[in-house]
Amino acid sequence: MKSENQLQLDGETVWFAEGETLLDVARRSGREIPTLCHDPRLEPVGACRTCLVEVAGSQRLLPSCATPAVAGQVVVTASDRIERYRSSLMALYLTDHPEAVDESRGRDELLEMADRWDAPRDWGRMTPIRSNRSDDRNPYIDFDASACIVCGRCTRYCDEVEGVSAITLAARGSRTTISTVDRLSLLDTTCELCGGCIDTCPTGAMAEKGPLRLADLAQSALSKVRTTCNFCGVGCQIDLNVDPEANDGRGRVVRVTSPEPGTTTNDGNLCVKGRFAYDFIDHPDRLTTPLVRGDDGELHQASWDEALELAARGLSRVADAHGPDALGFVSSSRCTVEENYLVQKLARAVFHTNNVHQCAAT
Amino acid sequence: MTNSIGEIRDADFLFVIGSNTSEAHPIIAMEMKRAVQRGATLVVADPRAIWMTSIAEMHLQIRPGSDVWLLNAMAHVIIEEDLVDRNFIAEHTEGFETVREAVARYSPEAAEEFTGVPAVDIRWAARRYATTEKAGIYYTLGITEHSHGTDNVYALANLVLMTGHLGKPSAGLNPLRGQNNVQGANDAGATPIFYPGYQRVDDPEVRAKYERAWGTALSPDPGMNLNVMLKAVGTQIRGLFVMGEDILMSEPNVARLEAGMNDLDFLVTQEPFLNETARFADVIFPSAVYAEKDGVFTNSERRVQMVRKAVEPPGQARADWQILTALARACGAAWSYTGAAEIYAEMAEHAPKFAGIRHERIEHERPGGLSGLQWPCPDEHHPGTPILHEGGVLRGKGLFQAVEYRPPMELADEEYGLLLSTGRTLYHYNAATQTRRETGLTLKQPEPFVEIHPRDAKRRGVETDDFVDVSTRRGRIRVRAIISRQVRPGCIWIPLHFREARANLLTNDVGDRVTGTAEYKVCAAEVEKAVAAEAGSARFPGSYYRLDGPGPGD
Repeated sequence: MKSENQLQLDGETVWFAEGETLLDVARRSGREIPTLCHDPRLEPVGACRTCLVEVAGSQRLLPSCATPAVAGQVVVTASDRIERYRSSLMALYLTDHPEAVDESRGRDELLEMADRWDAPRDWGRMTPIRSNRSDDRNPYIDFDASACIVCGRCTRYCDEVEGVSAITLAARGSRTTISTVDRLSLLDTTCELCGGCIDTCPTGAMAEKGPLRLADLAQSALSKVRTTCNFCGVGCQIDLNVDPEANDGRGRVVRVTSPEPGTTTNDGNLCVKGRFAYDFIDHPDRLTTPLVRGDDGELHQASWDEALELAARGLSRVADAHGPDALGFVSSSRCTVEENYLVQKLARAVFHTNNVHQCAAT
Repeated sequence: MTNSIGEIRDADFLFVIGSNTSEAHPIIAMEMKRAVQRGATLVVADPRAIWMTSIAEMHLQIRPGSDVWLLNAMAHVIIEEDLVDRNFIAEHTEGFETVREAVARYSPEAAEEFTGVPAVDIRWAARRYATTEKAGIYYTLGITEHSHGTDNVYALANLVLMTGHLGKPSAGLNPLRGQNNVQGANDAGATPIFYPGYQRVDDPEVRAKYERAWGTALSPDPGMNLNVMLKAVGTQIRGLFVMGEDILMSEPNVARLEAGMNDLDFLVTQEPFLNETARFADVIFPSAVYAEKDGVFTNSERRVQMVRKAVEPPGQARADWQILTALARACGAAWSYTGAAEIYAEMAEHAPKFAGIRHERIEHERPGGLSGLQWPCPDEHHPGTPILHEGGVLRGKGLFQAVEYRPPMELADEEYGLLLSTGRTLYHYNAATQTRRETGLTLKQPEPFVEIHPRDAKRRGVETDDFVDVSTRRGRIRVRAIISRQVRPGCIWIPLHFREARANLLTNDVGDRVTGTAEYKVCAAEVEKAVAAEAGSARFPGSYYRLDGPGPGD
């Protein structure tokens, strides 16, 4: 770190790294600065103005998310002036915002922030005039314009991270909304249904249609289990949101969310399969008992003991009659490391053959 | 991967070859997109125009199977123009002279004839790769699923070694693993030649170690690889155990495999769903899916990460490790595993590469660090290895391997005038037992299709949305035709996900000489119009590349 990389933060001398913004420095130094339009994965735009700070030499308050740290800066993150600005801003946002959080749509950071900073809620009510696209037949992504604060996180995510630019800010002024070309359904656009717009939305304006169908289910009743996605080889970390009471207490995965940006390899991102393809877990087609082929040539339900006995006998008979190398073991790159270890151990230590290979080999 | 996924965004040059990254590895594609936005140069070598080519500086649209020509020609340019890293070659490699001699005849001008890529583009790409410090190569099955897949990888490794783009941040050779635990399955020894941790089965010392550990005599003979094994099904192979693969969907030339399955004495499978292979099974064990069990998956960057049980499996379904333990006991072995952590610990105890990894170490996220641990991780205090070959090649000297072009086993001829490649799409996953049970994905991509170039469609009287019969020497399927300039003239492309039109009835099961990996990416095929489409009957295929078809709503 260069010795000149220091600035004054609320009277304290702090270091900063090349490329850091005032928001980065302040948060790293333990300051609490609210943001709405900020997402570490996106280029800063300074649109929501909630992260304003005082910087000596500037008459206006500056958005800390979009202001680079510069040596010698004198920065104040908490003052009456900042408080006044913030609270007015939040009050303005609240005038056409839902008064209570709709839990089925996820968190509403604006309402949380208003509580935390004690923003006035008596500045009158306006009816939002932003248009919805409630006729969009896409299966996953719902947009509720009334909860939208036009921070542009979703559109910027779509541009900058997913790179498909399927959604865009449309119309002007208080009619500004999130839309698509010709108001097409997302299914008919370049959208790849990654759901990143839902993930980055701070207010639940973008929400997942699946859990909306389970509307009576409060998000707070869900438990989250961190695990690794079971599709491709990227190894995204995902949080399975489980309704523990469902299925007579077996539990049911009702949505998948991504961990905070910056904490895992996937940096808060997921693809369409990782985020939305979980219906199969609870699908009625799942096999629930062992099956064995009967003399009639059909598969029949069997007990575990019966099936295990039959399998052991069938494999052993082949080995006895034709030697161990007449057996082949196909293991699976879809299963865990431990399970693959056991398949090769079964082949090698129990049946004495090295005829074992995982499915991705061909 | 010799690098980590997080390094991709800082790369200055990305050479993506044989990888449809945005569809097969969408999150790695996001990292690449980020690099390109930052100003990195992306070069894509692929027979198809894919999403990634839309943001690439250059698309080298090679003929399927001509990779060695392209890569040797790039090596030719780098040597001819003296862009090699002499110090790296001298200090860290051996065998450079053999490659220098071999690539001498692979001039870009000669390569243009074989690859269809203009010589000037090959020269440009080679120069940019060689002269950019943070230059990474990323490849997937477009490189390996050939009868000369190993040659393709050697040819890539030669480029890496001669430029010294190895063992540094954002510079290396990076195979992107196609499935969640391809890396981990290999690591665990589910291969015919290695015990866990890549310890050879024909090494007497290693075998003795495992004989002591497992308390039993072990076979000294390397086993059959999957390709050889499945071709021997019904003859030399009389009994088969299959966990978690629908071999009659996913293996090449499945008609031949099915014929063999008829002569099999005994088949056991472990699956969450009935599948094509179930038709031949004598016993099927109902298995849990990932959300219903504990364990670890190891991703493309060698990162060992936890899989955690979130819900109980339905009915009597059990985790595969539980089924395997019970099966071994039924076979007379005294296995008593009660949890995945215990099994991992047993594996790591005898495999030096993972010796420092235990569930206990990766159970909790480390402050400031990412999840899991990347192997090699030789002891319990080792922090893991994000970049392989840092400070020198692991085997001591990187070995150059001269390779010569060998054509694919089948090329287009009078009878089968087109070249077929198969692959994955964004909206489905392999045999699609999971993704086709997801209503949204099925809405986005409901039915099988073939992409065919307008020129080839016109010659065959095929119009958009027609049903066509696609045939090869091995089989025939009926699919919807999508007329698209995404494929080269003379080439067609079919996704592998649809059981009603199994792409693997068509594919060639010839294997690579070393790995046995089959030639899914190239075989001779023909297309014939079967049923004309009723106007507007086609459902959206899920890709916006329908360049020559009507747009949505037309």
